[in-house]
Amino acid sequence: MGQRLTGAEILLESLIAEGVDTVFGYPGGSIITVYDKMYSYSDRLKHILVRHEQGAIHAAQGYARATGRPGVVIVTSGPGATNVLTGVADAMVDSTPVVVIAGQVGNAMLGTDAFQETDVVGMTGPIDKWTYQIRKPEDVAPAVAKAFHIASTGRPGPVVLDFTKDAQVGVGWFEYEKCTHIRSYALPAPADEAAIQAAAELIDEAERPFVVFGQGVVISHAEEQLKAFLKKGGIPAASTMLGLSALPSDFPYYVGMAGMHGNIASNMMTQKCDVLIAIGMRFSDRVTGVPSTYAPNAKVIHIDVDRTEIGKIIRADVGILGDAAEVLERLTARIRFSFHDEWAASARNYDRVEDEKVGKVETAPAEGPVNMGEVVSRVAEMSGRQAIIVTDVGQNQLMSARYSRFVQTRSFITSGGLGTMGFGLPAAIGAKVGAPDRQVVLFVGDGGIQMTIQELGTIMQEGTAVKIVLLNNNWLGNVRQWQELFFGERYSQTHLLNPDYSLIAQAYGIRYRCVEERAELEDAVREMLDSEQAYILDAHVCEMGMVYPMVPGGRRLDEILLNKDEWYRDGR
Amino acid sequence: MYIISVYSENQVGLLSSISNIFTRRGINIESLTVFPSEFPGIHHFTFRAITTERAARQVVGFIEKKVEVVRAFYFPDNITSSSEHGILEDYLKNRNQ
Repeated sequence: MGQRLTGAEILLESLIAEGVDTVFGYPGGSIITVYDKMYSYSDRLKHILVRHEQGAIHAAQGYARATGRPGVVIVTSGPGATNVLTGVADAMVDSTPVVVIAGQVGNAMLGTDAFQETDVVGMTGPIDKWTYQIRKPEDVAPAVAKAFHIASTGRPGPVVLDFTKDAQVGVGWFEYEKCTHIRSYALPAPADEAAIQAAAELIDEAERPFVVFGQGVVISHAEEQLKAFLKKGGIPAASTMLGLSALPSDFPYYVGMAGMHGNIASNMMTQKCDVLIAIGMRFSDRVTGVPSTYAPNAKVIHIDVDRTEIGKIIRADVGILGDAAEVLERLTARIRFSFHDEWAASARNYDRVEDEKVGKVETAPAEGPVNMGEVVSRVAEMSGRQAIIVTDVGQNQLMSARYSRFVQTRSFITSGGLGTMGFGLPAAIGAKVGAPDRQVVLFVGDGGIQMTIQELGTIMQEGTAVKIVLLNNNWLGNVRQWQELFFGERYSQTHLLNPDYSLIAQAYGIRYRCVEERAELEDAVREMLDSEQAYILDAHVCEMGMVYPMVPGGRRLDEILLNKDEWYRDGR
Repeated sequence: MYIISVYSENQVGLLSSISNIFTRRGINIESLTVFPSEFPGIHHFTFRAITTERAARQVVGFIEKKVEVVRAFYFPDNITSSSEHGILEDYLKNRNQ
């Protein structure tokens, strides 16, 4: 038998029943009742007070990506709700489970342009997985149960509960029942046997099979299944940016990252393979280059849990709808033991060229200013590859993706599909809250950090020990790179006059060190990693730094710039 | 011309989020009907839109991703399409005279 509670209490009880122990939020007029009840729940529910609602949702995303559990956000109506929209869209395209509870005005005031009233259902519908307006207290528990079920199953994503005042203050019976079934929402079914058989035959006949995997492998906990599949089939594999860390960086069949700033081996092998097996990835344009020129010699096998992804961009010769772990297990059982040693080893030749032409130049220069890649490399080495790497968007992100090294999964958190500058700092806070025992290192540029810099206040108040590496070049570096390469060095609105970050760090009581010389770098990185508290390492890096290799937009994946004047030539 | 036929739970805001799927891809909805289906509690939407088979297939996929949507289908509306095409041609011819 249930209890009589207010809707606000039912919300909090329901969250606890879903195993939630931490929420990220910001109070306001239309959610004040929930915050009032929360006062009595402080021993069971930890609330992280952010400085801006965008910070709350990115923190929840970071939490979700680090833990695999849905991140929870509580905000008020109107501007509280609109401020989370960027994060909702970001979580949708990057398949991140987030549950947003937004306050809403009373039922009678809906549609009247009341103070802080806005059409949350209408605005979130196109960018989230599910939206529901809760208008009465009896609906709260079932809505929360559905929200968690929808957010975390199938292809995960954000859900938004528009929680009206009437539903918060009204009283209803509370009894919690987890949601396991919605008749209009099908959970992934076992994959089609004929498709698995067809895929196994293609793989067995392949001379140059190649895998490109994405975050789907992480989401479905298919890391071990992927390793077993690659080993049995003798198949080299590349990762998308969001798939990074699903395989250890030194896994024998791993050839690196795919796409615009990916590794030469991965892009060249994509173009040369005769069977391409795409696993839990969606053929983003940043991965494919021009889709009509992608993997021209390959039959494509596409494994995904989302039916709309199969054939959306790249035609699949065999589409397998299903959960990556289940499909890989069955597929591994079906394929023959194979060796493609010469093919797999060809990656090493590409790596040699890349290392010589790009890697060494970026990460181990003898003189000149400190490079971004150099800082990332030192952190990777000195942290023993154990850290969760969080990034913002831009050159800092690409360098982190290229030069970080991983031993365990769920160690790379970035805004991929939406490419949200300002994601990094709050996401790092969320990641640290979710994984307090792991080292969390954020790489962020001087542009991106200023988009959500107010969250330093959250770090100060919560004592979140996030290690912030500010790759500071006084430019919006990635746009500047495009301007240099493709817009005749017309640097329109990309130069930044920066504040004195030492004073900002001081104002927030955060440890700070500036590095301008190569000789200081290792010592500063060690000090940062050893610090028990938050730390800002302000690395003054090369102003004109460029991220190479690069497949420029509109090019094939084998048209690769090694530096400003030199294209990669195959067979060199 | 394609007919896109959608069966869904009754849910506030669903029509607008389904029509958004067309809008986002620049597809005009030529006609729309909504009525209770023969199944209790399930509503039936039919959209008619001028588009390609590939786009119709993708739109149906994205519509089916909506949690409340039970099933969606698409099929060509050739006969209607050609007769409407004729009407439109006549209309334009008359207007230009």
